Amino acid sequence: MKNENRPSRCRGMTRRTFLADTGMGFTGLALGALLFKDGVARANEISSPNDLPSGFPHSRPKAKSVIWIFMIGGVSHIESFDVKPALNRYGGKSIQETPFADVLDPQRVNKIIAGKEMLERKVFSRLMPLQTGYQQYGNSGLVVSDWFKNIGQCADDIAVVRSLWTNDNDHGAQLTFHTGRHVRDGALPTIGSWVNYGLGSMNDNLPEFVVMGEPSAPCCGGTWVHGSGYLGPEYAGVRIEVDPKKPLAFINPSDPTMSREEQEKNFSLLGRLNRMAGIEYPDDKFLQARIKSYELAFQMQTAIPDTLDLEKENDSTKKLYGLDKEETKTFGRQCLVARRLVERGVRFVQLYHGGSSSAGAWDSHAEIKANHTKLAGQVDQPIAGLLRDLKQRGMLEDTLVVWGTEFGRTPGAEFSNDTVGTGRDHHPHGFCGWLAGAGIKGGVVHGATDELGFHAVENRHFVTDLHATVMHLMGLNSRKLEVPGFKRLDMDHGEPIKEILA
Amino acid sequence: MSEATPANRAALAKHFDKFLSGNLNKCITCHLPSDNKDPQSLEEFPHNPFGARLRAVGQDLSAAEKKNDVPERLALIATEDADADGVDNLTELLLGHLPGAAKDTPGENELAEAKKRRADFEKFLSGYRWQPFVTVKRPEIPKLRNSKWLRNPIDAFVATEHEARKLKPRPEAAKPILLRRVYLDLIGLSPTPQELRDFEKDKSTNAYEKVVGRLLADPRYGERWGRHWMDIWRYSDWAGYNAEVRDSKPHIWRWRDWIVDSLNEDKGYDKMLEEMLAADELYPESTNALRATGFLVRNYKMLSREQWLTDTIHHTAKAFLGVTMNCAKCHDHKFDPISQAEYYRFRAIFEPHYVRTDRVSGEHDTVKDGLVRVYDVDSNPPTYLFYRGDERSPNTNHVIPPGVPAALGHSLRIEPIKLPRYAAYPDKRDFAERQAIEASEKAIPVARDALEKIKSDKNVDAKKIAEAELKLALAEAERESLLLTVRAEHLVDEGKKESEEWRKVATEALIAQRKVAVLKTTQTLNEARGKEAEAQTKLAQKTKDAEEMEKAGKDANDVAVAKLSVEKASDDLKKAKTKTGEAEKTLADAEKAKAEPAETAYKPSSPEVYPEISTGRRAALARWLTDTQNPLTARVAMNHIWLRHFGQAIVPTTSDFGLNGRPPTHPQLLDWLAAEFLTQKWSIKAMHQLIVTSSTYRMASTFDKGNAKVDVENVYLWRTPSKRMEAEAVRDNLLFLGGNLDGKMGGPEIPAAQGLTSKRRSLYLRIAAEKEVEFLKIFDGPDPVECYARRPTVMPHQALALANSELALAESRLLAGELAKTAGENGTKFVNEAFMRVLARKPTRQELRESVNFLDDQTKWLLKKQTAASPKAEPTQDKSKSNGAEAKAPAPPAQRAKEDLILVLFNHNDFITVR
Repeated sequence: MKNENRPSRCRGMTRRTFLADTGMGFTGLALGALLFKDGVARANEISSPNDLPSGFPHSRPKAKSVIWIFMIGGVSHIESFDVKPALNRYGGKSIQETPFADVLDPQRVNKIIAGKEMLERKVFSRLMPLQTGYQQYGNSGLVVSDWFKNIGQCADDIAVVRSLWTNDNDHGAQLTFHTGRHVRDGALPTIGSWVNYGLGSMNDNLPEFVVMGEPSAPCCGGTWVHGSGYLGPEYAGVRIEVDPKKPLAFINPSDPTMSREEQEKNFSLLGRLNRMAGIEYPDDKFLQARIKSYELAFQMQTAIPDTLDLEKENDSTKKLYGLDKEETKTFGRQCLVARRLVERGVRFVQLYHGGSSSAGAWDSHAEIKANHTKLAGQVDQPIAGLLRDLKQRGMLEDTLVVWGTEFGRTPGAEFSNDTVGTGRDHHPHGFCGWLAGAGIKGGVVHGATDELGFHAVENRHFVTDLHATVMHLMGLNSRKLEVPGFKRLDMDHGEPIKEILA
Repeated sequence: MSEATPANRAALAKHFDKFLSGNLNKCITCHLPSDNKDPQSLEEFPHNPFGARLRAVGQDLSAAEKKNDVPERLALIATEDADADGVDNLTELLLGHLPGAAKDTPGENELAEAKKRRADFEKFLSGYRWQPFVTVKRPEIPKLRNSKWLRNPIDAFVATEHEARKLKPRPEAAKPILLRRVYLDLIGLSPTPQELRDFEKDKSTNAYEKVVGRLLADPRYGERWGRHWMDIWRYSDWAGYNAEVRDSKPHIWRWRDWIVDSLNEDKGYDKMLEEMLAADELYPESTNALRATGFLVRNYKMLSREQWLTDTIHHTAKAFLGVTMNCAKCHDHKFDPISQAEYYRFRAIFEPHYVRTDRVSGEHDTVKDGLVRVYDVDSNPPTYLFYRGDERSPNTNHVIPPGVPAALGHSLRIEPIKLPRYAAYPDKRDFAERQAIEASEKAIPVARDALEKIKSDKNVDAKKIAEAELKLALAEAERESLLLTVRAEHLVDEGKKESEEWRKVATEALIAQRKVAVLKTTQTLNEARGKEAEAQTKLAQKTKDAEEMEKAGKDANDVAVAKLSVEKASDDLKKAKTKTGEAEKTLADAEKAKAEPAETAYKPSSPEVYPEISTGRRAALARWLTDTQNPLTARVAMNHIWLRHFGQAIVPTTSDFGLNGRPPTHPQLLDWLAAEFLTQKWSIKAMHQLIVTSSTYRMASTFDKGNAKVDVENVYLWRTPSKRMEAEAVRDNLLFLGGNLDGKMGGPEIPAAQGLTSKRRSLYLRIAAEKEVEFLKIFDGPDPVECYARRPTVMPHQALALANSELALAESRLLAGELAKTAGENGTKFVNEAFMRVLARKPTRQELRESVNFLDDQTKWLLKKQTAASPKAEPTQDKSKSNGAEAKAPAPPAQRAKEDLILVLFNHNDFITVR
């Protein structure tokens, strides 16, 4: 149907546009739904191909919520979930001296890299032995490195994908991991924003897409990594701090003498005055939305701190997440808050670990042993705790957990200035991630890299296949969500990784 | 071209518009059905009889050099019957049947409707066809029965749509509403109560027009509309990684100031475009005009020249032409008539350009300040077409010449431009020369002091003294050399080249320069030797470590790693030795040169030498864009202006006027505005004046049931739309109402961290990717990457920011304090003044009662609370909860209640809304 003279999106009062324009990142459909209940938004339903999504899934969803855990800087795949014993055999030799010299074929090495500036990156070929041990876990016998012993114990709940690849050999790949595009393509919708855009919220007083932890640095995508690009700011992730005293900007009056009671009286007058002034504008949905937004803001001032109040959790739970230990406390809190958010109906929780002012903490060009020992020590128990906790509460059935990083690390040792030969460089040619929970087969390994962990050789998956898998499990069809004027390529959509689906 | 099938399909859809049924908007309308999913040629996907005819007549027309677009071709074969099923092509098309498939033919019932359908289509075709890619023809101003409502031609076009739909325009807005609307619209700040009273008192027929004239002459107009154009032109301060500049450039604020200045002086839009795209070619000596090239500088990307050029191409086309070139980077555009080759022709216009920072008077260091601008670095760099848009696959067989899409008419007239002296030698300007000499003189006492200091230390290493002495000698030699070189250059400028005097000075200059060279290379050699010694020591240490580890039988992995370190250290030593060798050779060369008999071949004084010729490509583009025949420039600009007055654009897709964009709501009006813009010699102020004095603009924004039934979305402007204040206006007005707004104009950007404490207008706050003010972002502030139109939202974040931010609280207290001075204990007076100030209107009786009651109740409640609280529990005690903010004791209850009321009014929907 061709709808002549459609007004611009910003003024367009079609149903979902209006809901979007009122609900925003905070509550997504929640506010919209409130208004819808009130009959405010019912007046002018117009359906056209350009309308915003209905807020209902396109197919029966397996997952209600997603917890997306992202390690910033690049975790060594060969020393986490795709362990390569061959490296111990050939340690100290250069790749040319091994039977696998063909992995260095420049055609293969350069093929996936976007942008010619990137081609000049040197490939380190002197192999470095594994910097940690490894063992098998669970009925599935999944091999996991000793840096991730706790997650290893959840082996039978997770599906590891060992054949991911990405197209940037620098940390812009952090953005690529979330938008599917090279960092120079700029801010585009991320997987969390697509879920937010496609689905309604399940609660009335919390944001639909919540972000915790220090995000990527500006060099590597910055807050675009949880942004929403052309979908509009209302679909971007809302960053909250785990500190219940100041979880987001302006959550409390900057003047501490402004009590909640006083504010309530102010807001109450405000509501009355707004309604009086609205008499001449009975159809003004912005006004209606604004009235509601104040009611919601008022509620959020308590709802968010309440969600963040971990004192309500018992000691064994806190221990499970490692809140009792200095090294695991910070990330443990984020994981526990993630569970509490999902419990309250938040759709998409994105957790960052390793955010720093530069490339990211996991970026271990030198001293990878010290680096990964320390950083894995910060996340291993909290993540395993989250998986166990979700499972014991029956929440893992409809919560999808995804773990990833922008790329792996080179099998070869990196020379770098003064610190020599103890680190690994960026490695986009083959790396791993894993999924667990709703709709995912446990104890599965899918895809493979070659013997050295260099190239993904079996069932290769570009990072957007992870997005497609998430969308599929959420019951969403990304092609149906496409926005006119912003054509997406097949590669942007990706394909669900069917083999790991339950 | 028949290969551009999707373009043909789009043209077919465009021609038939609503008359084309969905099952004809398909490939099989012209092609035989095929299983081939991705046909590469016509052979693989042959035409059906209709498609074949359509193609054939196209070729005929083209051979006859006639227009051969789809409508012309269709007209020729409308009455033919391609599939010989007894029904002609046009009738079949109109009835939704395939004209090229005999099996698909209309039934009796359908044919009965055919005549009417054809008549309707005829009528549609003879109506106003909006053709954005064809030069604007000034439409006739429609004649209307109800001419009383019409103030100017804009109203005639709008009223035509009213009449066609039986819409009744809302009456003129009440004076306070209108005044606030036009103030916020033109200067971005609300009227003061005094200004409102004056306006209400002024009963003359042109009272409103007088206000408009005053506001357009107000310099704050430039700041207000400057921000709008900054959206469209993607203003961005520099961004980067720590101190490394990666996006845009420092000092680009001069471009922002140029925007404000240009608007205030009502520079023609054509002149503005010329300056932004090509001031370096057209006005090469005007440092004022050169600021404008910030438009191009803004696209600078340290990490990728490719992305830099891509952004330049895409956004120049979007901003000025409303055309999305993006698609054509990889393949011919699927909707608009832009081929891939044309994309690269457009690219070639920008291929030679680059950015540089010229010195400004008063600051020799261009890192601290400077004029950042563009210039052509190269006279003819090749542009190649990239297969599939991939820069790694250029077609180097064919150099693409600069050009513009043919479908937009005319072509570029490119002539290289000889640049004046300043452009090529910016440092030969007097001030720059003077400052260079001053800087070289300042270096001498600095070096001397450093030497004295080192000497005063008794234990100092002789090497250090030698180093410092060398530095001093170098500083002295450099000054000497600079003075001589500048003198020699002046003699050249005076036409005394080859004179005896010049020979003498030039020879001395060369001798001095050679001396500098020897001293400099000596310094380099000393440094290289030092580094070599370090590397030597390090290698010895690493070798020893590795041997010891091996002897001690350490873990094999660790030993392997240690050996890698030895390898690396040995590598480093090799590199250091090479460097020393190189330095030795350079020094030997310098000394040899010094010993040679002197001549006059001195080096010029400034390294900043640029080409004396510019390609003229961008100047040609600017001329083409601002040619009155260009179909898009004026239309696109007027659409942007209209959007910002009304909150809804005439073409809703402001940066896409192509087939994939949305059609205009008022095509004739837009064309008339574009034509009038040219008549007004591109005066933006004249167009503002016209728009805001129209009856259309002056209507109330109130509801009307009857109209809403016909046009609920107010597409046809039966009322003036309400708008949401932009982010900057929210912040500016809070400061303004608190009496705190700093009116200083222009200057370097203010750090984003000062967003809530600075009192300057928001357009001066730093905006760049990742460096934005949170408060502004919450109110949908512009995305510096792309913001052709703002998208106002309503979010709980906004409620929190307006209710809780220190900005809102502080300003509410200041205003309450000021109003209380005049109102005293008189609640009614206070409420009246508060409404006048914050909402620029009087309260209704009900609002007044409600607010006065609030003041009483709140005062009583606060009093009660205060007396109930024990003196020990003063709020100041509870510092731990205050997030670090200093907790001030609250004002006494009566005043605190007034502050609360002001805060409530700041949060009132009528504050953030423009009615």
